[in-house]
Amino acid sequence: MPEQVVAQPGLYTGTGNPPSLKGGRCRKCGYVFFPPQQYGCESCGAPREQLDAVALPGRGKLHSFATVHLHQGKGIEAPFTVGVILLDDGPAIRSTLTSRTGEGLQAGDRMNATMVSQGHDEQGREVMELRFEKSAR
Amino acid sequence: MSKTLIDLRPVYVVGIGLHRYQRMSETTYVDLGLTAVREALADAKIQWSDVQSAYTGTVFIGMAASRPMLRHLGATGIPMAQVENASASGSTAFRQACLEVASGISDVALAVGVDKPAPLAGAPGKTNIRDLVGARVVPFTHFALLCNDYMNRNHVTAEQIALVAVKNNRNGAKNPYAQRQKAVTLEEVMAGPAISGALTRLQCCPVGEGAAAAIVASEDAIARLGIDRSRAVRAVASVTRTERVYREAKNFDAELTGETVAQAYREAGITARDLDVLELHDAFTIEELLYLEAMGLCGPGEGARMIESGAADIGGQCAVSASGGLIAMGHPIGPTGVGQIAEITRQLRGEAGERQQPNAKVGLAHMVGVGAVCVVHILRRD
Repeated sequence: MPEQVVAQPGLYTGTGNPPSLKGGRCRKCGYVFFPPQQYGCESCGAPREQLDAVALPGRGKLHSFATVHLHQGKGIEAPFTVGVILLDDGPAIRSTLTSRTGEGLQAGDRMNATMVSQGHDEQGREVMELRFEKSAR
Repeated sequence: MSKTLIDLRPVYVVGIGLHRYQRMSETTYVDLGLTAVREALADAKIQWSDVQSAYTGTVFIGMAASRPMLRHLGATGIPMAQVENASASGSTAFRQACLEVASGISDVALAVGVDKPAPLAGAPGKTNIRDLVGARVVPFTHFALLCNDYMNRNHVTAEQIALVAVKNNRNGAKNPYAQRQKAVTLEEVMAGPAISGALTRLQCCPVGEGAAAAIVASEDAIARLGIDRSRAVRAVASVTRTERVYREAKNFDAELTGETVAQAYREAGITARDLDVLELHDAFTIEELLYLEAMGLCGPGEGARMIESGAADIGGQCAVSASGGLIAMGHPIGPTGVGQIAEITRQLRGEAGERQQPNAKVGLAHMVGVGAVCVVHILRRD
């Protein structure tokens, strides 16, 4: 099996079922956040010593979604669909969905994270990106 | 104890001027800005030498924009500075000019907004905090997501949201300073091209170039310079706030707008019902609905119905985006917030011609910007 790497190692490891996100939690006020950062708690101002890394399981509920029909960004091919997902562990996050056109999706759907191949890097390793898809159940 | 604008000495808008908002051209930013400032000076019937301070709202021009432009009015040596606050740069320049006059440091101050589109790497991208979507989500998709949520929660159709663009383009068609001066039908708006989610091209504001200027003055200066008091419009509230932490996917643009506008109403001693004209940050159609609700012009979920009823038309309960708003007048960034002040001043003077809201006495200008920031001003005809 060829070696795999994740596209955004700062945001997820690609392991777990469903894969988890790398979030943060403030020890002082309990605020749970994503994406992770070490500058200080946005909710109470506690410094980095008070910020713990926390794995946020890639499970939640679809809050809203939009299919992007037109995009001028380099290497970004439209159409694709972006969703706001309310993670079961708290934060609302935005993620690309596996469905390019969002067909069959509706707000309130249960969503799971999954790893999707994005092709290979220069070293021939398969690049895996985290996306969300409608839960099978 | 801290004070509000209305506790300080009165400050009035006495001169307004614009350079038409338009697609990027060969015109230099100097020509754009000078056109607006000269028009504002002529409108106030004062000389450049009467102006004691200048703030330039700009994002794209680059370092030190003010003096290379304003020296061509005569280098009088007055203090000048640039104000950058994302889409609210012009609004913030206007606030600084108001505060400077209200505090007594100057009697006459200029706020000018000028911009030309240029590539720019904003600071949020330099924090090293990455998210999952990165460049895949640009502003129109941020608002397309809010659009989807709004449609789901309120059982509103894409056509109902698109009606905002019909109204604002109808207003823009009567505004010689607007970038888009063509009325459009609902069918034309819906025909696309589709951009993101339910948003079509005509539901997204054009970002071009332009300039807008507003001169503010104290009562002393109005008397001393012989400015026509009957055309002066008082600024009675200037409020700016930034985003806090809102839990559970709350719509931060609307939350921030709601709390900023509520503070401005309190400071001015008015309610939403008192507003005759409203210029808001309608960069995308959905925003107008969200902010009408956040500002209390209608109940939660009633924004689309308010537009359909005609209550937001010129001649309705409150003329919303009578200038054409960002959607039709355009959003050249630096000028936009100052241009709103120009429109409201014109309306409160009763000089808006075909766009005139009958007997307009109170107006509100609202901008939000990346960050996120919100800036609100309330103007009143005495």
